[in-house]
Amino acid sequence: MSAALDYSRQEMMAIATGREIRDGELAIFGVGLSMLAGFFAQANHAPNLRSMTEGGVYGAAPVGGLPWGIECNRISSNATSFTSALDALGFLVASGRCDVGVIGAAQVDKYGNVNTTGIWDGEIGPHYRPPKTRLPGAGGANDIACGAKRYIIMVTHEPKRFAEKVTYVSSPGYLDGGDSRARHHFVGGGPSAIITTLGILRPEPGTNEFVLDGWFAFSGIEEIKANTGWNLKVSPDARLIPEPTAEELANLRKVDQTGALRKK
Amino acid sequence: MTSKLISLSEAARRFAWDGMQYASGAALPVGSDAVIFGRELLRQKRKDLHAIFHCNSQQLNLLAAAGAVTKAECGFSALEVFGFANGLRRAVESGQLALEDYSNLSMALRFLGGALNWPFVPATVNIGSDLQHRSAFAPDEYPARSKIPAVVDPFTGREYGALKPLRPDLAAIHVTLADPAGNAIILGTEWSRTELSRAAKKVVLIADSIVDPGCIRQFPNLVRIPDIIVEAVVHWPFAAWPQGSPGMYDIDESHMSFMNKALATEEGTAAYLRDFVEGFDDHDSFLDLIGRDKAKALSQGSSSFLLDPYRRWILTPEDVAGLAASELAA
Repeated sequence: MSAALDYSRQEMMAIATGREIRDGELAIFGVGLSMLAGFFAQANHAPNLRSMTEGGVYGAAPVGGLPWGIECNRISSNATSFTSALDALGFLVASGRCDVGVIGAAQVDKYGNVNTTGIWDGEIGPHYRPPKTRLPGAGGANDIACGAKRYIIMVTHEPKRFAEKVTYVSSPGYLDGGDSRARHHFVGGGPSAIITTLGILRPEPGTNEFVLDGWFAFSGIEEIKANTGWNLKVSPDARLIPEPTAEELANLRKVDQTGALRKK
Repeated sequence: MTSKLISLSEAARRFAWDGMQYASGAALPVGSDAVIFGRELLRQKRKDLHAIFHCNSQQLNLLAAAGAVTKAECGFSALEVFGFANGLRRAVESGQLALEDYSNLSMALRFLGGALNWPFVPATVNIGSDLQHRSAFAPDEYPARSKIPAVVDPFTGREYGALKPLRPDLAAIHVTLADPAGNAIILGTEWSRTELSRAAKKVVLIADSIVDPGCIRQFPNLVRIPDIIVEAVVHWPFAAWPQGSPGMYDIDESHMSFMNKALATEEGTAAYLRDFVEGFDDHDSFLDLIGRDKAKALSQGSSSFLLDPYRRWILTPEDVAGLAASELAA
């Protein structure tokens, strides 16, 4: 870590995610960290980003800190349009118009499939049973995973979260790998990156298996492999991801007023 | 104009029964939802509900924690930044409540399908995932056949999914403003209240404020729920509390956390029911529960300017009481 800048792993994850978002794109953000990453991009390098929440709140920026929800007053104080789920997730995402989405994950596997539904002890088996721990469900993430041209998965990098195969597919990545996604004729292209608190994984062309593409200044290949629940391959192009610049960090903290990401 | 204003207790007595398909919101987890209607359903000891919530809210969290729900269908089942919905979670993990999972778009599409009387809604989402393959309502089906069965596009021959339309028995819909006849204006996202109001067999509006019909005539383009599909209107300021209502009041952050923590245990739920479900007799004592100073502070949030164009039409509590009384006499 540079002597000049002190930042958290979560802040690095948010900045690396924000860097994936390009100026002028039509983008959809969920609540929490993904919203911070999105609004960071807008504040930093993508002033013409066309942003929306799945609640149908357009043109807004958070006021008074991280919104409690995608319909919270903190994201309703300067909106240019309030519409609906059918409009945001349907007309603008399921239609294939949305360029990029950001979703979170409780568990992700080597083909980028995401589980946000529950934790079971072992496999679920042929008879469906309630999870040992119930998680939030798919929300709009399934719709973004099916419809957005590409999407980014943001997730804390821990072995329990990185599984060979997720117990329950809440949001489809590349399913069984290769071209298995194609049989469902999704308009969306699938996950373009898994960005974590330790580094960046990207799908390997052909197999669509996620491989290590980059590590952060405070992490490294061995640490990332040790925290990944499958035998993680390393891309020949894998590299050190540049640290946040002072400007990036300042712009992120302008958006993250209440310091949700600053905790170490 | 005929007033449809009735009391909260009368609305629940008239339109709710045990075992019904009950829809609310269709709010997001921390925003506009008729949370007060859920409190009233519990006061009237309603049970065995089949809850249809586009997203979980504190209302479903409370109803589930109290054991009043046996089946639920949701697109999202937590409380956004407030975390997991502990009451719903406890009911699901214990097996007391079967929670059928969908996504936020597919719930809206299912309301749309119900509203249009479509036999099914073609799904380009939820397919290929366990939302399609797993059913809590038909646990022995794997892959599930009755939840999102495959359907072939007759034009291309491609396989997609078929979503089951929703037609709930009752929708208790929170709105910002309604006139006494039941024309409603919503500030903030609609989420899926337009579709839900057309899909439900009966609609009861729970309004933060009642406005003079002149307001409706001034802004007819903004009326998302027209009186012709509304059975009754309940006037209940802070109906969504502790959730927020854009333009009206902010989220009560401390009570959101307090409530969710209470619902995590049986003992906490019992105490919550005693204090915040049984603990008020009328709207005045409900405001005392929130705290008068807190209610005032919550009303002065960053979004309160949204209400400015409508303020001149908002009826006083005395005016509203007079309208409700004349309805009783008739």
